[in-house]
Amino acid sequence: MLRLAAASVALPGAVAFLSPWLDAARRDDYEPKFFDTEDFAALDAFTAILIPTDDTPGAREARCAQFIDFLLQASSTVDPTVAQQWRAAMQALRDAGFHAADAKGRAALVAAMARPERERGATHPAYFAFRLIKQQSTFAFYTSRQGLIECLEYKGNSYNAAFPACDHPEHHTL
Amino acid sequence: MTTYDAIIVGSGACGGWAALELTRKGMNVLMLEAGARIDPATDFHHKFSYELDYRGLGDPGLMRRYSGSERNYKIMIDDVENPYTTSPETTYRWGRSRCLGGRTLHWARATDRMADYEFKAASRDGYGMDWAVSYADLKPYYDRIESFVGVSGAAEGLPQFPDGLFLPPMPLNCAETIFTAACGALGWRSTVRRLSQLTRPHNGRPPCHYCGNCVNGCDVGAMFNPIAVTLPPALQTGKLEIRTDSVVARVRMNTENRAQGVTYIERGTQHAVDVDARWVILAASTLENTRLLLLSAKGGLANSSGLLGFYMMDQVGGGGVSGILPKLKGGPARLDDGKQAGITIPNFQNIDAKTRRKEFIRGYVMNATGGQTEFPQFAANVPGYGPEWKKEIKSRYVAQARIWNAGAEMLARKDNFVELDPEVKDAWGIPVLRIHFTHSDNDYKLIDDFQQKAEELFRKAGGEVMPGPVAPAGFPGGPGSPDARPAAGQRAAAQTPRRRPLGGSIHEVGTARMSVSPKDGVLNSYCQTHDIPNLYVFGGNAFPSTGDKHPTLTMMALTARGCEHLLSRTT
Repeated sequence: MLRLAAASVALPGAVAFLSPWLDAARRDDYEPKFFDTEDFAALDAFTAILIPTDDTPGAREARCAQFIDFLLQASSTVDPTVAQQWRAAMQALRDAGFHAADAKGRAALVAAMARPERERGATHPAYFAFRLIKQQSTFAFYTSRQGLIECLEYKGNSYNAAFPACDHPEHHTL
Repeated sequence: MTTYDAIIVGSGACGGWAALELTRKGMNVLMLEAGARIDPATDFHHKFSYELDYRGLGDPGLMRRYSGSERNYKIMIDDVENPYTTSPETTYRWGRSRCLGGRTLHWARATDRMADYEFKAASRDGYGMDWAVSYADLKPYYDRIESFVGVSGAAEGLPQFPDGLFLPPMPLNCAETIFTAACGALGWRSTVRRLSQLTRPHNGRPPCHYCGNCVNGCDVGAMFNPIAVTLPPALQTGKLEIRTDSVVARVRMNTENRAQGVTYIERGTQHAVDVDARWVILAASTLENTRLLLLSAKGGLANSSGLLGFYMMDQVGGGGVSGILPKLKGGPARLDDGKQAGITIPNFQNIDAKTRRKEFIRGYVMNATGGQTEFPQFAANVPGYGPEWKKEIKSRYVAQARIWNAGAEMLARKDNFVELDPEVKDAWGIPVLRIHFTHSDNDYKLIDDFQQKAEELFRKAGGEVMPGPVAPAGFPGGPGSPDARPAAGQRAAAQTPRRRPLGGSIHEVGTARMSVSPKDGVLNSYCQTHDIPNLYVFGGNAFPSTGDKHPTLTMMALTARGCEHLLSRTT
């Protein structure tokens, strides 16, 4: 879906058109372009439940909702199916009561939506929305500095004098 | 008009080597490259995903035209300018580059010698045609090339995996060490991947600094590619002229059955230019070479055999296992993907009478690696969310493991072929290729066997299988690979749904095979066309079979041998 979303911004001049917005996405005064204010706030809250801040940064610090909004704004200019999919997902969240719920209620709703992932036979009308937001949030988070470096401690993309050989005797035998 | 001693069409592994060989012997050479000049200082860099606007997905306007990724699209090809077509039953995807240096700017760097059990496979199992060369014929050229470009690896003494002149091997990471132990327990031989990637300074080039950006272009020239290795010394001779953005449209002939030169079109101006030379060398990649021969005469140039375009092959891709090694779970972060390598398990079946399999002929090579990768492709497939999910992702991140198919021999069949599309033309009005390509029953059986063996190895290593991409970044099927884009109008899912989907390996060969007799092929063993004495074709065209090794080193060895033959004709 991500590739579809990105690849769908194919109109001439689309990139130039989006550049100022992309800069804004990196600032604190961010105003969503794809989602309305309520949906964006719901998405932001949802991503923070999925990838919370703990002893490492979470979705909020990584600005996952902003990046998702950016990709969807880009895709919606040429591919209505991606936009429709996300509108349906946000409507499913709204129908489930996520927008109106308090923090405790939202946590309970996400838990209910996620059940089909682990429990065979379990269903939830907003499960597809859970999966969609989880996939996009996972990408947005682990491609951010907060996710990749501060959380996962990725060591690559660096200059090194040598490649570190395995120095564990226990790995040389099964 | 200047008449050059030689024109070389293409600047990749073979074109670059030919330029080096010929200019060092005093020939005045014109190299024509259809794509742009690449500057490693500005085009190759270390950037994290979060430093890229689209986190690696790429500027959508550009990525609609290019395969690859936001990091490496400049060294791929513009698919809109350069279309190709396929027959309805074909699912083949042609991974290409158009730039100075060609696909070696982002190649997997595997540098393996082929063995006589591959060159003479037809004599052993009765299928196809033997090569017109043997290992003994190519060994001096393998030696010469390895010595010059620098290949890291370890000697193993395996007849099916001939040793070369190696620089010190790269160390194994933890996952590779565990897989090595598992291979030992299964009685399989394994070794570190043999790579054109320096482990110490060599011929004025620095060693690898293990950044892991190989498939995005090496910024220091530690891996082999022409712009770092063969073209600089060729240019130093003062005998090489390179014209980029020059799209060759055809080979022109004179009245004495000799190539007169070529006509190329300036990419930006659409202006046609004729250039002449005493020798014409096509080294524009296997299928582009054949396209040029097809474009240059009715029925194809140098096609008295009628076999030009036929017997197209690409090593069979498909299958593989990914997951985690529980032994590594929760361990410390380490630089696991900095060398973009792994271990190789050479083929051990159908190499002699003792290892013969009755279910299929020929064989395959496996690769395995693991540990950290930049993006955790598996993460969204891990059930759950919240703090525990985050911890689980981090715990598995360092324990990732994968086994992939490094090359499985595809049988040569005449019904796999290329021709000129009667309607579709490229951006310069030149007819494009139409590819007809399907797999045989043996190809499917080979990959089924690979899958069984890969799962056996994964289980022996204690691995836990998880869904996720099998190929590493930049490899066929993996993120950032040039093979991801279908042909113009290509249908999806044309393969038999009951069978495992097969792919290619970006190792396309054949279509102008070598033969002893002119009636059996297009080229002789020196890659000189049987029909036209001053026309040579370097690339994978000459291959009568794919073998199971990565083909680039053998293409280069054939080039070196062919250049020596050409030079012997000039004195």
